[in-house]
Amino acid sequence: MSRGSNAGFDRHITIFSPEGRLYQVEYAFKAISQSGLTSVGIRGSDCTVVVTQKKVPDKLLDSSTVTNMFKLTPLIGCVMTGHNADSRSQVHRARVEAGEWKYKFGYDITADVLCRRLADISQVYTQNAEMRPLGCCMILVAIDPQLGPVLYKCDPAGYYCGFRATAVGAKQTEANSFLEKKLKKKPALDLDKTVQLAISCLSTVLAIDFKAHELEIGIVTKDKPKFRTLTDAEIEAHLVAIAERE
Amino acid sequence: MEKHFTDSRVKGVSTGTTILAAVFDGGVVIGSDSRASMGGEFVSSKTINKVIQVHDRIFCCMAGSLADAQAVTKTAKFQLSFHSVQMENPPLVIAAASVLKELCYNNKDELQAGFITAGWDKKKGPQVYVVSLGGMLISQPVTIGGSGSTYIYGYVDAKYKVNMTREECLQFATNALALAMGRDNVSGGVVNLVVITEAGAEHIVIPGDKLPTFSDE
Repeated sequence: MSRGSNAGFDRHITIFSPEGRLYQVEYAFKAISQSGLTSVGIRGSDCTVVVTQKKVPDKLLDSSTVTNMFKLTPLIGCVMTGHNADSRSQVHRARVEAGEWKYKFGYDITADVLCRRLADISQVYTQNAEMRPLGCCMILVAIDPQLGPVLYKCDPAGYYCGFRATAVGAKQTEANSFLEKKLKKKPALDLDKTVQLAISCLSTVLAIDFKAHELEIGIVTKDKPKFRTLTDAEIEAHLVAIAERE
Repeated sequence: MEKHFTDSRVKGVSTGTTILAAVFDGGVVIGSDSRASMGGEFVSSKTINKVIQVHDRIFCCMAGSLADAQAVTKTAKFQLSFHSVQMENPPLVIAAASVLKELCYNNKDELQAGFITAGWDKKKGPQVYVVSLGGMLISQPVTIGGSGSTYIYGYVDAKYKVNMTREECLQFATNALALAMGRDNVSGGVVNLVVITEAGAEHIVIPGDKLPTFSDE
């Protein structure tokens, strides 16, 4: 009775296994680590920052066309980790949802509502046999008009949550422990401190001494709530500041 | 609109109106009156805003049925914002005008609205486009529309010069709108102007008592 006619298929489509697990969803999480990249998001006192590695594996690739940071609305940005094509699909859907919300209701969608909407869509994929879950995880950043700086994450299981700091990707466990330790005392983080903490997290956990062109950093701040990515020169300035502190 | 609506049951609130847009050296001025009327007799609003922002540096003036014009500009705003986010760049003025044109042309049987689109983009600088009732799209350096425009064609033809300064163009636009509002009974109220340049968009409102007066007043 506990096996029924599900023999073996629980690993192939999103139906429950006898132990009550959804193997396909778990495999989706493994797919995120497949990309080999790690991303970190940290919420400061007046800003939110996301950092991700920029790996350009092929010397022939034009690195200016490679990015994992996307603008969903002028005020909400995101970093995608995992399968590239799935990431773009989710970003496109997020943009459509945000645009339709603005059109229907006349005001800008907030990051938490957008995150919830995408999580709900991801949940549908975990129930439909014909569609697989997406192999990517989205970290959203924004300055919410009521709540101030916010950081949200939604994953292939359809789970979403707001965070003070979070990490996704190949080294997420180590990165999350690093962040827990650093944020235990609830320090006040201004923009520079937040950016540098995020960069340090990645370099410590991955044991890489980053150069400016190996990182992508996206920020939103209270004075400039529009999502923007830092230029190489700005990243270099932060790297220098970190080096001088040590 | 070139038609005068005598049958107000047909389209409800319509904007007998005067709208204009003109390119100057470094930017555009787009402006309108502020009267909404029903049937050419009743002024339903003295302070309606007919200059709608569809993106940071792109504005539209609407003429014709207010309801149709608002619905179309709302849809255009949505499509344009999505387009701009996807392109990761501000939209071109011609993109805004084309979106409006598509909507007007594909729904020409149901809609009765025309638009003037004006704005600034990095590719071609300041531009003005006209989308007429049936969905024609053309680019012009200066254009006027609405029922009040018939009274100022002569003034516009005579006084508009290419590459005016911002102040000259503002004066030109104010005069033109004031003259039209003076003769067209379904145009009136205040003058709403928006000056769009590379630096951004600036709104100027000139109330009725501050409008220029002419020899007959």
